[in-house]
Amino acid sequence: MNKKDADVIVIGGGIIGTAITYQLSKRGKKVLLIEKNDLCSGTTGACDAYITPHTKAAGFSLDLCIKSQEVWKDLEEELDADLEYEHNCGGLQVCQNQTEFDLVSDNSEKLKAGGLEVHMLDIEEARKIEPALSEKLRGALYCPSAGQVNPFKTTFAYMKAAKRNGAEFKNHTAVTGIIRDGEKVVGVNTDKGDYYADAVVNAAGAWGGEIAKLAGYDFEILPRRGQLIVSEPVKPIIHTTMQTGNYMVIKHHPELITDERVKRLGIGYCIEQTDDGSIIIGFTREFVGFDKSTTLESIEGIIETAIQHIPELADIHFIRTFSGFRPYSPDNKPYLGPVDGAPGFYMAAGHEGDGIALSAITGVVLAEMIVDGNTSFDMDSFSPNRIFNK
Amino acid sequence: MDRNVIICRCQEVTYGEILDAIADGATTVDGVKKRTRAGMGLCQGKTCQRRVQQIIASQTGQKPEDVLPATYRVPVRPIRMGVIGGNKDE
Repeated sequence: MNKKDADVIVIGGGIIGTAITYQLSKRGKKVLLIEKNDLCSGTTGACDAYITPHTKAAGFSLDLCIKSQEVWKDLEEELDADLEYEHNCGGLQVCQNQTEFDLVSDNSEKLKAGGLEVHMLDIEEARKIEPALSEKLRGALYCPSAGQVNPFKTTFAYMKAAKRNGAEFKNHTAVTGIIRDGEKVVGVNTDKGDYYADAVVNAAGAWGGEIAKLAGYDFEILPRRGQLIVSEPVKPIIHTTMQTGNYMVIKHHPELITDERVKRLGIGYCIEQTDDGSIIIGFTREFVGFDKSTTLESIEGIIETAIQHIPELADIHFIRTFSGFRPYSPDNKPYLGPVDGAPGFYMAAGHEGDGIALSAITGVVLAEMIVDGNTSFDMDSFSPNRIFNK
Repeated sequence: MDRNVIICRCQEVTYGEILDAIADGATTVDGVKKRTRAGMGLCQGKTCQRRVQQIIASQTGQKPEDVLPATYRVPVRPIRMGVIGGNKDE
């Protein structure tokens, strides 16, 4: 019998890994989190901050996001920390033309049928909510319950709360192998030595595919680069979270995009203003491996689209560009749960652009699966074992 | 040094807050930045990065030049967005 360092080892110190660590520690488990760099240095280190149910596909993904919002609602109080959480700042999906408006309208009917409150607004009505929008636009989908949050503050708050519950964190420790005893996963090899536990959770975000490969599985989780820009702090001009309507087109109907550059780089914009006044504008969706550079072509494309929608941005300065990796999964859904053939091994990766929104519920369901052996609602649709049924 | 001395002027981050971030596990300029916002402001760390490097070095026993700096990114100076993505309609 091997020594045991913890009940559960969690790989990855982003918002997902720390959420799971906190929820497990709250349920009395001894957890060891292993992170190859520092907390918040990978996927969570360069992302946006939305909690937007209206960008999820109606059905299981939307249901999971709504459940996640329930957890988010009480999180500041539970973690005893300011997370800059605005739970109903509202979200707009802004449509430039009739094609986008029609697609977004169709989707709004599905979202309504799925139980989400959304409204289609003409541009005059949308400008009552966001006066900065150009009057030349067609309109917008409005979701009153969309929110935003500070992902860094949330990750560090989860860490502190988990430490209070006895969890241990090993930063700058890279997992190099998954240790098995027969079929069962019993620990991890790292560059600082081996660690043993009853269960191992892969919460390595965009690197989740690499970690799964160490256990012998190919989940096709790929890093998808998103570039963003940051403005100087200015007075509040953006009140909601916004995306271009073409986000839905790019995400669900890429075949309808005709602009070559938009198609190749996946350019649209998403925009929010943080508590300190900076405006953060994304996005691109690019497969370039783990290349974290930013490119002039993409920055230009993002700013161009953003100014078309919000003309007064033209006079605001941008001070930084950055890029991050979204953990893409082939069917746009995260892998959450135990893996057949590897008892003790759990996946919690592949959230792509939904990781911040879904982090809260991911922590809860993984803890339920590991501690109770089942979850309070049906999670079959997110089972990692769907890769075996292809 | 007094804990209330401001190290990052743009974000008004104090020496004490930086010490707390290091105690919390930050070992790089980026680690301090993610925990305190030091270096995230208008000057993007041009004023405070060296100072933060020295504080990390003195607290962790590394040489200042061995403390990982933050990633430098375009633009070097703030640029009006209209210059890069001017509205083609006008």
